[in-house]
Amino acid sequence: MSLEKIEVDALVVGSGIAGLQSALDLADQGYSVAIVERNPSIGGKMISLSKVFPTLDCASCITTPRMASVSHHPRITTLTYSTVDAIRREGKTFTAAITRKPRYIDEKECISCKRCEEVCPVFLPDEYEQGMGAKKTISIPFTNAIPQFPVMHPEHCIRCGACARACPKDCIDFLQEPAPVEIKAKAVILATGYETTPMTAKKQYGLGALPNVISPMAAERLLAPHGPYGRVLRPSDGMTPGSIAYVQCAGSRDKSIGIPYCSRVCCMYAIKQAILLSGSLPIADITIYYMDIRAFGKGYEQFYNNARAMGINFVKAKVARITEDENHNPVVRIEKQEGTSGPEEIKHELVILSQGLVPACDGSKFGLGAANNEFGFVKLSDETVSSAVTDGAGVFVAGTAKGPRDIPDSVVDAGSAAIEAASYIRRL
Amino acid sequence: MTHRKILIITTNHSSYPGADAVGQARMGYGANTYIIRVPDPVMFPEDFYLRAYEKGIGGIIIMSSGSDCPYEGAYERLSKRIARVYEQMRAKGIAVNRLKLTTICTVCRAAFLKEISEMEKAVAVI
Amino acid sequence: MNEKITEAASKDNYRQEPKVGVYVCHCGGNISDIIDVKAVAEALSKYPGVTVAREYAFMCSSNGQDLIAEDIKNLGVNRTVVAACSPSLHELTFRNVLQRAGVNPYLHEHVNIREQASWVHKLDKAGATAKAIKLAQAGVEKVLRKDALNAIRVAAEQRVAVIGGGVSGMRAALSAAGKGLEAVIIEKGPRLGGKLLELGKMYPSGETGPAIVKKLSDLVLAEGKITVHTSAEIDFVSGFVGNFKINFKKTDGSSAQVKAGAIVMATGYEHYKPAKGEFGYGEDANVVTLPEFISLLKNSPADRLEYSGREIKSLALIHCVGSRQVEGVHKPQADGRLNDYCSRTCCTSALHTVNQLKDKYPGVRVYDIYRDIRTYGMKHEEYYDKASKDGVLFMRHNEADQPVVTSDRTGHTVKVKDVLTWGEELEFKADLVVLVTGMTPADITLIKSQLKLPSGADRFLQEVHPKLRPVELANSGIFVAGAAQYPMDSTEAMASAGTAAAKAAILLAEPDIPLEPFVAVVDEHKCTGCGLCPAECSYDGALMMGEHNGKKVAVVNPALCKGCGACVAVCPTRAINVAGWTLDQFDAMVDAIAKE
Repeated sequence: MSLEKIEVDALVVGSGIAGLQSALDLADQGYSVAIVERNPSIGGKMISLSKVFPTLDCASCITTPRMASVSHHPRITTLTYSTVDAIRREGKTFTAAITRKPRYIDEKECISCKRCEEVCPVFLPDEYEQGMGAKKTISIPFTNAIPQFPVMHPEHCIRCGACARACPKDCIDFLQEPAPVEIKAKAVILATGYETTPMTAKKQYGLGALPNVISPMAAERLLAPHGPYGRVLRPSDGMTPGSIAYVQCAGSRDKSIGIPYCSRVCCMYAIKQAILLSGSLPIADITIYYMDIRAFGKGYEQFYNNARAMGINFVKAKVARITEDENHNPVVRIEKQEGTSGPEEIKHELVILSQGLVPACDGSKFGLGAANNEFGFVKLSDETVSSAVTDGAGVFVAGTAKGPRDIPDSVVDAGSAAIEAASYIRRL
Repeated sequence: MTHRKILIITTNHSSYPGADAVGQARMGYGANTYIIRVPDPVMFPEDFYLRAYEKGIGGIIIMSSGSDCPYEGAYERLSKRIARVYEQMRAKGIAVNRLKLTTICTVCRAAFLKEISEMEKAVAVI
Repeated sequence: MNEKITEAASKDNYRQEPKVGVYVCHCGGNISDIIDVKAVAEALSKYPGVTVAREYAFMCSSNGQDLIAEDIKNLGVNRTVVAACSPSLHELTFRNVLQRAGVNPYLHEHVNIREQASWVHKLDKAGATAKAIKLAQAGVEKVLRKDALNAIRVAAEQRVAVIGGGVSGMRAALSAAGKGLEAVIIEKGPRLGGKLLELGKMYPSGETGPAIVKKLSDLVLAEGKITVHTSAEIDFVSGFVGNFKINFKKTDGSSAQVKAGAIVMATGYEHYKPAKGEFGYGEDANVVTLPEFISLLKNSPADRLEYSGREIKSLALIHCVGSRQVEGVHKPQADGRLNDYCSRTCCTSALHTVNQLKDKYPGVRVYDIYRDIRTYGMKHEEYYDKASKDGVLFMRHNEADQPVVTSDRTGHTVKVKDVLTWGEELEFKADLVVLVTGMTPADITLIKSQLKLPSGADRFLQEVHPKLRPVELANSGIFVAGAAQYPMDSTEAMASAGTAAAKAAILLAEPDIPLEPFVAVVDEHKCTGCGLCPAECSYDGALMMGEHNGKKVAVVNPALCKGCGACVAVCPTRAINVAGWTLDQFDAMVDAIAKE
């Protein structure tokens, strides 16, 4: 296999909103950029959200234009479904060893017609839909994925050949191999994003085994305009829940699970989801169990006030334990800090854990001098002077790779990283 | 048949991509629908709509960008203009349900189909 | 102005005879399985104005593109219609084909017969084919009436004017200069540094405000591309993107002007000043604001906490003063509005200060009265934790039950209904009451009115889109950095200022700023000077009545026009149109669609 070589001014690792925005801000200044994304589509987490706070813009509607700009930009090359295996620094150049994972289709010929997907007989749980709903073994990951190329999962493929027969351009390639790519760049921007605290983190919350205690990303998909079911259902029996509760600080501000910091966005996303639920399930009873409501950003306090006016119940109580009854109705155990004293057990039909944000990737593994802070996020060399410069020369960071932040913070980070990278490249 | 034709005015920014999303999802609607795209429907004077009816067009759906609209003040002007068009339609005896002003976003697939199905009913009785 | 801005539409009087090439794509069956593409091509080949009509398997492929290039070369095709997938995918691709073949790229029309036809009319092949023919014919009518368009270019000053020399202004100037642009900081105070100069040890690094200011100002003063004007107040600002003129006066009486291509508003904030009597402020001694307390703490002797010569043994902090105000509970401000927003940094700032207080004077009793503790940052929870461990007593109240401060000879008594003790009303004495005050935007009334800058209900400068465009104002070429946009801490301001500089750098990346050609264009032969159109325009200065060749006509400033078409609807003679989207084109399209 011959080595594909690409030379650019800047390498951006990760294509969530921070990665996309920093690539655009660099390319618009005249620099060439390569983005490497490990998932089959660009767009990060934002593309799978329902709506965003506090504007309630549809998340896809505001992400897809950025994704489209990146894919059409003459100075941006995007490698999706590709991993960064190592980055070496020699003098003024970074050399990244990338592997393009095989999609098992010929991307140069594919016209995104989805014939292969239509005829494939094997269904898999849809990971984009957080395991709800099903997708085919060969499929385009989701409707507005960019690039619109399918991925085939060989471990589930039964080699029936239906896709190959249906493809009008004969581009199914069962024998495709991973392809090595070498990218040389003058600067690197780490925009590797976050994951939410795993559902298995806290044993008092059921270790992820309670079917009607779900993650916030699963709730986003249930609320999204084209989610798996088109409406909100609860996993155990498909019922429409009448009593829904949010457990704030489920995966943050908790020394017992090793995440003592505040994840910054959970109050707001829970309020947002509660407002959306209020709209789609007008008679549902919605409760948010919280420690503090951190509505600190522009428009956030007003958003919080709207939620209260809509009748969403805010109860100051840290949830100690969640169990379930014989019908899988989750039961939360709290000690209310307002009103009467004493612990109480309250039954709901669906509970959403407001999980925190943890780093998606260990940035220090590249050995470029960019160190992590004690929580595994990439550290800045002096945050009082620059929001993007790390300890590694020529290595910059943007977005949630630095720590929990919301979308406007990430967008602002991205611009800052872009101009730092541009200044750095100019001075080389 | 011309009088069954439905003209759909969409915006570059929101509803045209919304129409594309309906296609990407392979949803179905009638082939008597003709989508044209504009920066903003505020550009059309009142007589544009009336001339379209004179030419025999059955129904017109204006799919604006609503609050997503990138143009300052355009939606307010558009709604006032359409209010005037309705008056002129009434004066000419054209059923007002043959003109609909609505907002469609880039992923509003269900809403898009609903608007068409309602207009289909309106043009069926012409 | 006119000589710096090249026109959008070139009205070539020697308009060539239009020769339209129509290309219908099969899209590998995606279109051709439903639509009879051969029939479409045949119908179009007979249509007036069409020189050639072809159908092909994949128009976007190199072979497909070559088909067009060949027809341009051999048949003199000078306008094209491609009927295929959505323009969002390949409109640019085909514009490039035309450009490479020497034809103006805007003489191409893209017709969607996939997402909006074959994919949605699967059960009605005949209907889909008829529709595709009509849409392609409408496309031909449109392209016949298109003008060759050129990107508009506005010559731009390669300089960024930064108004405000606090940490945000310094960072914006440094980042702009790092990119090779000239930057000018205009600061009304005598020194660079803004509000940080008043602060002691700051979170999260523990460095003092002045130390951080020094780091940045040393870099600023060492950067040759940055010019700093202090003791300089803005007198008059005018202009538009690429060509702003900022006139300022210095305290020594001299005045000067800076020309800039972009402006960064880094004008910062003011501390909320409590009203007289608000929790006793201004009436009782020993009620101070948090900034006043920070100063007090810095200047107190090592052995005891002192205020006005007296020892302070106990103090109470009250959060959310001047922020999160609620109708019916708080009195409106002077302009009739409430500060309903959260000032973001005060909880962390207050607790960080309390940490330092307890370290220096562990014996002082501290009561903290709050509504929510908003220590949202990465390390900020530690300050809350430490305060708790240091013995600070936290009391929480609902907004409707505000704490009450009364005073007598013996000091202050604070009463609060504490929800953490089940709503019981607690009462305690405190030697000092510290009001944790928020931020209000600095007064920039003059600049706002001169440049027509938008602000929100919270009075801070209003960005175009709070999620995706947080530092851009609706005014082209003007950006906002730091607390002028919303309360934030200095580390957040670094990101905000960096990105404002990035936006300015993108704008000024080339000596000319290219703007999309889809702006309003006036045909002066048709314009009667009636004056109806400017009233429709929402963008100050974009459309005005002027004079050309002795005739009163409407004049468009292409640099300010957004191309919405609001003006187009009112013109009695169709003299004004949005280039590329004219009423004649649309009328002709509807004609083609309506025809049986």
